[in-house]
Amino acid sequence: MNFLRRLIGAPTSDTDNSKHTDLTKPSAIANGVAPEISLPGTATASSPPAPLIQGVTKYSTQEITEPRDFDPTPMFGVTRQLPPLESLTSKPSKHVIYGLSTDIGMIRNNNQDSVFTFYGSSVSAESRPDFGLFIVADGMGGHHDGEHASAIAIRVIALHMLENFYLALLKIAPNDVDRPILSEVLSEAVQKANEAVSGEIPEGGTTVTAAAMLSDLLCVAHVGDSRAYLIAQDKIEQITRDHSLVQRLIELDKLTKEEAETHPQRNVLYRAIGQSDELEVDTFSCRLGPGSRLMLCSDGLWNEVSDARFLHIVQSAKTPQEACDHLITLANDGGGRDNITVVLVQVPG
Amino acid sequence: MNTEQFAKEPSNKNPHGVEGTLQVGSVLQGRYKITGVLGVGGMGSVYQARDMNFPNVTRYVAVKEMLNLAADPGLRDMTLKNFEREANILAELSHPSIPKIFDYFSNKDRAYLVMEYINGRDLEALVNSMPNFLPLDMVQKWGVQLCDVLHYLHTHKPEPIIFRDVKPSNTMIDQHGNVRLIDFGIAKAFQTNQKGTMIGTEGYSPPEQYRGEASPAGDIYAIGATLHHVLTRRDPRLEPPFSFPERPIREANPSVSPELEAIVQRALAYEPPQRFPSALAMKEAIEQLSSGGPALIVHTNGAADDTKDKNDEFAAAGKILPKWKFKCEDEIRSTPMVYKNMVYVGAYDNNLYALETKDGNFKWKYATEGGIVGTPNIDTDNNLIIVGSEDKHLHAIDIRTGKVSWTFPTNGPIRGTVNATLGHVFFGSDDGALYAVRLTTGRLVWKFDAGAPVRSKPAVTSERIVFGNEDGDVFGLDLSGALKWRFKAKRAVTSSPVIVDDIAYFGSVDWHVYALDANNGWTVWRYRTTKPIISTPVIVNKHLYIGCVDGFMYALDTSANGKEIWKYETQGQIVSSPAYVNGALYFGSVDKNVYSLDVKKGKLRWTFETDGPIASSGAIADGMLYIGSSDHYLYALNP
Repeated sequence: MNFLRRLIGAPTSDTDNSKHTDLTKPSAIANGVAPEISLPGTATASSPPAPLIQGVTKYSTQEITEPRDFDPTPMFGVTRQLPPLESLTSKPSKHVIYGLSTDIGMIRNNNQDSVFTFYGSSVSAESRPDFGLFIVADGMGGHHDGEHASAIAIRVIALHMLENFYLALLKIAPNDVDRPILSEVLSEAVQKANEAVSGEIPEGGTTVTAAAMLSDLLCVAHVGDSRAYLIAQDKIEQITRDHSLVQRLIELDKLTKEEAETHPQRNVLYRAIGQSDELEVDTFSCRLGPGSRLMLCSDGLWNEVSDARFLHIVQSAKTPQEACDHLITLANDGGGRDNITVVLVQVPG
Repeated sequence: MNTEQFAKEPSNKNPHGVEGTLQVGSVLQGRYKITGVLGVGGMGSVYQARDMNFPNVTRYVAVKEMLNLAADPGLRDMTLKNFEREANILAELSHPSIPKIFDYFSNKDRAYLVMEYINGRDLEALVNSMPNFLPLDMVQKWGVQLCDVLHYLHTHKPEPIIFRDVKPSNTMIDQHGNVRLIDFGIAKAFQTNQKGTMIGTEGYSPPEQYRGEASPAGDIYAIGATLHHVLTRRDPRLEPPFSFPERPIREANPSVSPELEAIVQRALAYEPPQRFPSALAMKEAIEQLSSGGPALIVHTNGAADDTKDKNDEFAAAGKILPKWKFKCEDEIRSTPMVYKNMVYVGAYDNNLYALETKDGNFKWKYATEGGIVGTPNIDTDNNLIIVGSEDKHLHAIDIRTGKVSWTFPTNGPIRGTVNATLGHVFFGSDDGALYAVRLTTGRLVWKFDAGAPVRSKPAVTSERIVFGNEDGDVFGLDLSGALKWRFKAKRAVTSSPVIVDDIAYFGSVDWHVYALDANNGWTVWRYRTTKPIISTPVIVNKHLYIGCVDGFMYALDTSANGKEIWKYETQGQIVSSPAYVNGALYFGSVDKNVYSLDVKKGKLRWTFETDGPIASSGAIADGMLYIGSSDHYLYALNP
C-alpha cells in the first residue's frame, strides 16, 4: 500500500492500515480471528510499521492490481508508472534484519524480562563493519526486584557497549590499528552489570544473554538460563549452556533431559548476575554464516516450545518479527507460565 | 599461628535492617543483659549477653533469637513445639565441639536459645582474613575434630542426629584453636518455603540433599566440601554445583599432600556409598596422615588415576628410544618435513638433507650458501621441495634428485617458512618484503613491502594472506597482494598465523596470543601469557596449543574466547611449535627435552632428552616423530 501511495499519491487513512493486516494475513481472515488480537498482553508485541521495501514484498500482484479502496479509474501520475512485475519481485535483504517480542505470559502479574536490541549498519567507502547488540535478561526476586534487576542489567551492558565499542568504532580513523576488542568490552560490560545489580538490587538477580555482532562475527556473553540458539542449514543448535542445577546434573550424567523437564528444582540457577562480587561469565565467539539466524530467548519460551518447533516457525515465517510474534503465541498456548521474550536476528544470504 | 587471633570482639553497635533487633542494655527474662550483636540473619539475630545471675563474675552467653513468622496460629504452635523438641535434644548433648545449651524460652513471636558464648571466629571469616593458606597441620586437626563431632552426632541414641549444614561459617574456631560446631539446624523449622525461579547455590550440600535425603554420608560430603574450601581458598558457592572433582586441591594449593587430597575427594564422591562409611573412618584416615603413618585409603576417584598416570609416565619414559638419529654438521632449528618415506630437514650447516624414514639413510643433500632455518615445503605436483636460506635465496629443488630447479633472490636472509600453495610460493624475507613467486618457474608475481623483516610463515586461504613482521605488524592481503587490513601487536610477530574458520591465530613477542578476524583484522580475543611467544599454534577441535618463552605449553579454548584449559610447565623456554597426533602433543623445550603431553588434561606422557636445547618442531608421519636438536642430531622417535 505504501508503495502505491508513494507512486500515485493516495491519502493515508486508518482504514487503509487495517487492510494492511487483512491483506498480509489471509488465513487470519479465513478463521475470523487475528492471532495477535486474541491474546491479552501481546498488543505491545504486534508488528511495528513495516519498512517500505518489506511492505511491498507482502502483497501479491493480484491484490495490488485490484485494490479494494481505490477508484478503478486509472490515474495519470506525474511520474511514469514502473513496470509492475519487475518492481514487485521480492529480493532477499542484503542486510541484517531482526525482530523482537516480549510478553508477560498467562500467569505472572509482571514482566521481569528485559530486552535490548541495536543494529548499526553503515555502507560507505570506509567499509566499517556493522555492529549489533542484542540482550535478553530474565530477572529474579520478590516485589519488583526481578524486573529492576533485568532492566539495570540490559541498560548497563548497552551503555558500556555503545560507548566503548560502537562509538569507538565510529571515532577511530579507518586505518587506525588501535581498535577495541569485542569479547573484552562485552565481558567488562557484563561485569559492570553485575556490580550495578549487586549494588542497587541486593535481593534480586537476573540472567543475561548478550550477543554482540561485528560484521558476521558473533560474540556471546552468558550467565543463567536464558538461551542463544544458532539456526543454520535446517539445524537448530543451542549455543549457550544453562547455569542451572538440572543442566549441571545432566552434564554429570546424573539426570536425563527428559527427567530435567519435570525435576522439582528445574528453576534453580547456580549462577546469575547480582549474586556475588566475583562472577564467571561464559563467553565465546563464532561466525554467523550466510542465511543463518541467531535467536535469544528467556526460559518462558524454551520451557513451553520445543527446539523442533522453533526451527519450523523460524523457517516458515516471512520475517523475523512474524516468527517472534508466532513464538510468543505458541508459548502462551503452551501455558505461558513465565514471562516470554524472544529476539531473532537474520543474517542475509 | 597464634590461636588468640581467632578471638573476636562482638559489635556493640545496633545493626540496622532487622526490625525489632534488641537494643544493647535490654534484659531478657530478667537475667540476660544484651551486650552486643554477634550476627544478624533473616530469621533473627545472635546476641552476646551477660548472665546477671552471676553478678560478681562476668559470664557471657550467646542468645540466639528466632522469629516465628508463620501467620497461621496452628502452624506457629507447631513451629514452637518443634523448636522446644530440638532444644531439648541439644540440651542433652555433651561433646567438646558442641556449645552447651543453658536455657530456652519464647516470647510473643520470638523464641530464644541461650548457650555457651564462644570467643572465636568462624572458618569462613578466618579463611577470608588470611592472606595465605591456613597451616596444613591446623586444617588437618580441624578436620579430625569435625569428623569426631559429626561421628558423635551420627551415633547419638536413640536417634542419630544429622547436622545437614556443615560449612565453614558454621564451624567456629575458638580462642584455643579448637572446632566448635554452631547453628544446629534448629532455625530450619522457622523458615518458610520460597517459590519461583531462584538462585540456589549448592555449595557444601551433597547432591542427594535436594531429594530431602539426610544421612551421615551427606554430612561427610559437607565436611569434605568445607575442607576443600579451606584448603583451596575457593568458595564452592561461586562454582558450578558438585564440581569438586574437577577442581583438584593440589592444583590450587600444591603444599597439600596427595594423601590428604585423596581423603577430601573421597568424602566428596558423588555417590554416597563411595564416600567414607562413617565420619569415624574419615577421622582415622586424617589421623593417619597427622601421625605420619601410611595412609590406609582406598582410592575410589580421580586420585587413583593420578597414581596410575604417574606409573605410566615412568614406565613409558624408559621406553622412548630413538629408532635412529642422524647427525648434521651444525644445529637443527628448522622443522623436518616428511613425504613418501623420506624426511627432509634443513640445518645451520647450510644443507637440506633427504633421509629415508625407515633407517635415516642419507639419500642426498643440497647445499645452500647460508643456514636453513625454515621448514621445507613440498609441491607434490611438480616434485619440488622449496626452502629459504640465510643466503638470501629461495631454493626450489627436485625432490627426486636433490638438484636445483630454480632459485629466487631477495635482499635479505630468508628465515621464515615458505608456503607453497595455489600455484605460488608465498614467503617473507629479512629485507622486509613478502614475495609471491610462481611455483613452476620462480618468477616474481608480486612483492609487498612490510617495512620490517618477515619471519612468520604466511597463512594463505582462498581469499586471504595473513602474516606478521618483526615490528609487530600483521597484514591481511588479498591474493593479488593488495593490503586489506593491518593489525599492530606491541612487539614482533614471528609466530606464524594459523587460520581456522576465517580467524587468524598467532602469538607475539608482546606476551599475547591473538585471534583476529581474517576478514577485517579486528581482534576477536587475546590471551596474555607471562613471556614472549615465538611458537606457532596448532589448533585441533577448537583447542589451541602454543608454547611460550615462559616455559609453559598452553591449551586455550578457541570456542570460549581463549579461555585457558590447562598449561604445562617445562624447565626451559618453548619456542618449538607443538605437533599433534591422536590426542597427544609433541614439542621440544630449551631444557633439551622432547615432551609428549596428553592433550585432554595436559598430563605428561613421556620426555626424551637430547644433548642440546630444542628449537625445532616435530613432524609426525606413520607413527614416527622426527625432531631436530641443537645437538646437531635429527631424531626419529617412536612415540
